[in-house]
Amino acid sequence: MEKISDYILRAGTIDRRWIFLIIGLAVLLPLFFPLGLPIRATLATQKVYDAVEGLEKNSKVLVSFEYGPSTKPEIHPMAIGLLRHLFTNGHKVYVTCLWPDGQFMADEALEEVAEKEFNLTYGEDYVVLGFRPGNEAVVKGMVSNIRKLFTTDSRGTLVDKIPLMENINKVEDFDFIFSASAGYPGTLEWVQYASDPTGVPLSTGTTSIMVNDIMPMVNSGQVQGILAGMPGAAEYEALIGSPGIGTSGMDAQSIAHLVIVLFIVFGNITYFIETQRSKKY
Amino acid sequence: MLWKRQIPILIATVVGLSTLFGWFIDHAGVESFVNDDATQWYDILASFAIFLGALNLMKLQGKKVVKQQSGWQYSLFAIGGFLFAIVAGFIYKGNDAVEWGVHVTSKGTLFKWMFEYMFTPLSATMFALLAFFVASASYRAFRVRNLEATLLLVSGIIIMVGRVPLGSSISSWFVMYLLVLIIAIFANIKFKDKKITFGTLLVGVLVVTVWGALLGWPVDQPGLFYLPVLQDWIYNNPNVAGARAIMIGIGLGIFATSIRYILGIEKSYIGE
Repeated sequence: MEKISDYILRAGTIDRRWIFLIIGLAVLLPLFFPLGLPIRATLATQKVYDAVEGLEKNSKVLVSFEYGPSTKPEIHPMAIGLLRHLFTNGHKVYVTCLWPDGQFMADEALEEVAEKEFNLTYGEDYVVLGFRPGNEAVVKGMVSNIRKLFTTDSRGTLVDKIPLMENINKVEDFDFIFSASAGYPGTLEWVQYASDPTGVPLSTGTTSIMVNDIMPMVNSGQVQGILAGMPGAAEYEALIGSPGIGTSGMDAQSIAHLVIVLFIVFGNITYFIETQRSKKY
Repeated sequence: MLWKRQIPILIATVVGLSTLFGWFIDHAGVESFVNDDATQWYDILASFAIFLGALNLMKLQGKKVVKQQSGWQYSLFAIGGFLFAIVAGFIYKGNDAVEWGVHVTSKGTLFKWMFEYMFTPLSATMFALLAFFVASASYRAFRVRNLEATLLLVSGIIIMVGRVPLGSSISSWFVMYLLVLIIAIFANIKFKDKKITFGTLLVGVLVVTVWGALLGWPVDQPGLFYLPVLQDWIYNNPNVAGARAIMIGIGLGIFATSIRYILGIEKSYIGE
């Protein structure tokens, strides 16, 4: 028994580079050899799906991109999934960005879904209003008067000349808001300054770490469900029947989480042995 | 002193009060100020802040290079990156077919190239490194030291495994067998008696096995031991309760600080 304990203790002082290597392999291998683990939608994801499904055809949906390249693996799959769902159901999409890099993300997602998959027309089926600095002031400005804030879209076209912008003057003119958010400014600001005061329903997709902050609003009904991180994106892809990047990343995330849990358990075993020995001697 | 102290405080007080009371006064002029003008002013001031921030960045990094302080080589990259972005944004488009302003997000421009091939990979790399550090840190620091740490650890593990598809593949019966094993280990530590340890283990295994056989071993039953159900419960109950408490605390803090600004008690913005 002593020998086993010694061996465990020695293994406990493992160089952190070995941990890095194991984690690297745990992420890489499932990407090359997918396990195809079953994906089960949570209630929060189901709520988002139901909210979008419940919209009447030709609804005007405002989608806000508030993430950048660092959080792209988590949020981008859900943005793509949502756009697919919206365009499949025949809704009109208006894109705005509270983050400067959000516009790049929006352009990329729309090119993939609206242009290549659905062959839609810019200005008639979707429009990118683009980024404006000012954080929550932008949200507040949109609630009050969009045309004062956005005189042109992201392509430099006058908003008044865009057919899709007809009868769109403020947030209240939209039927639904979706915030693809990775932090501040993001979902919280949309709830506080847009959805709550105007009553326009809002759903969101956030990074896993943000879920704690948004969950109280989901439970209170202020937010119609939440896509929580990459698992949320994979669940949404499963619901709309279009597996994408989110689904393929889930095997890697599953194994990586399992490896981290095993590390924690092993670390605690060594801690337990150390404590017992220090008590003994 | 009047220009440096009294007038800025007066401006902050007047603007703060009018914005606050704008929510309660049903007057078109006041509403217009709160909803439109105040936010536009904020945008204009924020734009000036960007200039100040950029100048400050250059000043600090430049100083570091000139004085050759530790890590001054990194400052060269910061200055170089900044100047490159300025050139790509204001001086050289790289694609004459695109108009100024739109060139920032248009294909074939230098700015877009910079975003796609420099900013995106660097930013993604920095974030991806977190996975390695989280793994290493949790291995070394996540210890069962006391009750609070144990609760945190157990809920952390349930969330980590229950949130991913792997968690829904783990049968609740497996979790129950695991629990029986843990209970037997604790019984052994507490009583140090082989009979009690094996008795606990045997009874536990028997109960779980008979129960499972009677129900037909459904993966997600009983829900109390099914990881996705458990993680949902943690997210929706203890987590929401804690998050609400924090939000209310932050709200009260913001309220108190705003009142201090409006009343002129808080003067840090004028350097006092």
